[in-house]
Amino acid sequence: MKKLALIILVAGFCGFLLVLPTHYALEKTSDDKFCAVCHEMAAMSASYAKDTHSGANKSGVSAKCVDCHLPHTSLARYVLQKAKNGIVEGYIHFFGDPDSIDWVKNLKNREHYVFDSGCLSCHTKVLENELLPTKAKQMHAHYKELLGTQKEIKCASCHVGVGHNFELRNELEYQKPTYKIYEKKMKELRGE
Amino acid sequence: MIKRVLCLLFCLACAGFASDELSVKYPLKPHHEHLALGCADCHENQGDEPSKFKAIGDKGCLSCHKSKKLLAKRLEFMDVLKANPHNSVHDGPTLYCDECHNEHKESTNMCLECHEHEVKEWMGVTP
Repeated sequence: MKKLALIILVAGFCGFLLVLPTHYALEKTSDDKFCAVCHEMAAMSASYAKDTHSGANKSGVSAKCVDCHLPHTSLARYVLQKAKNGIVEGYIHFFGDPDSIDWVKNLKNREHYVFDSGCLSCHTKVLENELLPTKAKQMHAHYKELLGTQKEIKCASCHVGVGHNFELRNELEYQKPTYKIYEKKMKELRGE
Repeated sequence: MIKRVLCLLFCLACAGFASDELSVKYPLKPHHEHLALGCADCHENQGDEPSKFKAIGDKGCLSCHKSKKLLAKRLEFMDVLKANPHNSVHDGPTLYCDECHNEHKESTNMCLECHEHEVKEWMGVTP
């Protein structure tokens, strides 16, 4: 009996020692400063810094990159997606050609890299919020109606500029213009 | 029982045909089609007969797209060349939406009326 109790105690303590650094690591690797180490995201960071989600609001409440760009349906999915992103982006950062990526074009894929579970983990009752404007309530009802169907849409389907103050494209164009005619002017603004 | 099944199939077929007919006669832009919007989502309080619907005007468009200033802000990078169609040097953010944008037919670009050569350098096709 004593032996069993000792085993349980030691196992619990070891488990705690394992969980604690994992939790700490996940916490410390969830903000834009860490993400920017490997992710090519100067434009994303710049536009995020202007948005209410970065804490630019009276209440001081802020969201981190992972709050929107990782799934929050389960811890396993969160960690797996985080690891996958880290590996892929890290590889591109060190061995690939990040300058060749067309970020403006990739904006159209926002439904794939913005997770509803992230939005709804904070905006928990937004779909039933009677204080919203009429059109917002109508569109949220539409969203709920499409859930689970082939035509399912995401929060980011409509909320195009959320989290980046509607300026993400501006920042991307500022750094790498889609149309060449803007290049000279953008270089001047960048001080090159 | 057989009659009920046949009736149901007939109803579904009619509904499908009607839906297809509407989508051909009144096509949506890809981004709106992607959202699976229905007629009433834009044509609010205009009855049930599509052929009698009227243009929704700025108020209708901006019920979702918020404001002309916000739309101009999203293309603020174009201001460096004064080429932002939503914030032009001529009109600022005051143009009517349907001066360029059309939902059920091809959109146009009012800028082309004078800047025929420059427009293709400034921007893409009007959505």
